[in-house]
Amino acid sequence: MKSLFKKEVVSYFSSLIGFAVPALFAAFSVFLFMKDIFVIGSFSFVNFFSIIPWIFMIFIPAIAMRAFAEERKRNTLEVLLSLPLFERQIVLGKFFSAFLVVVIGVLLTLPLPLALFYLAKVYLPEVAVGYFGVVLLGASFLSLSLYISSKTDSQILAFLLSALSLFFLLVLSSDFAGSVVPESILSYINFIFPSFHFDPFTKGLISLPSLLYFLSFTLLFLFLTVLELERRE
Amino acid sequence: MIELSRVSKSFGRVRAVDNVSFKIKKGEIVGFLGPNGAGKTTTMRLIMGILKPDKGKIKVFGYDPLEDRVDIARRVGYLPENNPLYPELKVKEYLKFICEVKKAKGFERIAKEVGLEEKLDEKIENLSRGFKQRVGLAAALVGNPKALVLDEPTSGLDPIEQEKIRELIVRLSKDRIIIFSTHILSEVEAVAERLIIINGGKIVYDGQKPKRKGTVESLFKKAVLQ
Repeated sequence: MKSLFKKEVVSYFSSLIGFAVPALFAAFSVFLFMKDIFVIGSFSFVNFFSIIPWIFMIFIPAIAMRAFAEERKRNTLEVLLSLPLFERQIVLGKFFSAFLVVVIGVLLTLPLPLALFYLAKVYLPEVAVGYFGVVLLGASFLSLSLYISSKTDSQILAFLLSALSLFFLLVLSSDFAGSVVPESILSYINFIFPSFHFDPFTKGLISLPSLLYFLSFTLLFLFLTVLELERRE
Repeated sequence: MIELSRVSKSFGRVRAVDNVSFKIKKGEIVGFLGPNGAGKTTTMRLIMGILKPDKGKIKVFGYDPLEDRVDIARRVGYLPENNPLYPELKVKEYLKFICEVKKAKGFERIAKEVGLEEKLDEKIENLSRGFKQRVGLAAALVGNPKALVLDEPTSGLDPIEQEKIRELIVRLSKDRIIIFSTHILSEVEAVAERLIIINGGKIVYDGQKPKRKGTVESLFKKAVLQ
């Protein structure tokens, strides 16, 4: 797994994806946050964290789309399957290398809380919990996008389907759904959506059920990706 | 030993491999001959465990590709059809990756063996087709495999490069099983000891290569037109 992880990291940083996508992610999220400061005249990290899932909706499919779709297109998946690598090692190697790119994007936004810590009163442990939630959310979105990438040989299709799936996951658990779906039903279905579980983290709270939710979500889609490779059709 | 017993594989309604059986022993160089779409690539993928057979049994050095794909990958070097590679990597990076995965050392020695020592720091995308083919062969050779499964190893190369790759295959054949697929008849005459002809997914000839020059062509035509 380590060798595939290293090769994948080299591949990511041999192309624009490794540099441009994390940089754009950081630029967009910081810009949207700063806009609030200048327009409203105040800031809250809850607002900052609440825009991250929507930026992830584009950013994560852009990173994950190549993972398997490109291997299928170039037939290099055949090379990987002819090597002494178990399917789970291939999936984990791909996952952790893409996750590294996601984490780099998230880390690039760190100067923001650090600057605000010096300029205003920011309670850093609360922000750290928020960032922890961002990383968990990123891992779960990434595993879903990797699974979709394993189902096709078209990067564009993988990107669009992943972005669309994440869009529905976000919309169905947002305020928009609250206005369409009766509240009695919403309280039940909310539990299956990532935003519901991300919410406590944005407020600085570590919720054990939400932590388990993100881990299960990530593992489920990684497992489905392994099954997809094991089909060998 | 590589052994296929009544193996079949279909894609939808198309039967790509139909009731195929053969045994290949240590030291044999087998030319796997057939027209395009005959089932050569599917058979090779079945041997490597990249595809699952619908019916039949395959044993590769005692391992079943269905269950033990990784054990087979440790013992068999594979050059897939059209030699897929990672163009963004340098030759050195790619061979190091293969060495790490196969827990083998000495990619420099293998690079020298296939004539790649001058190209180690070049990106794969900048190599000529012939050198790319050598990269694929070098990757298949990592870990000193007991068998090599080469799917059209000279496809798309100019005659001089083809000759070099053929010489390389003969040189590599010592104490190894080598199966190479091709639709170039002269290649089989130059390299193989045994000939398996496949057509429409079925084995239509399996035997020693005829000694007389030019006989392979008539044998092939007869077998395919049957």
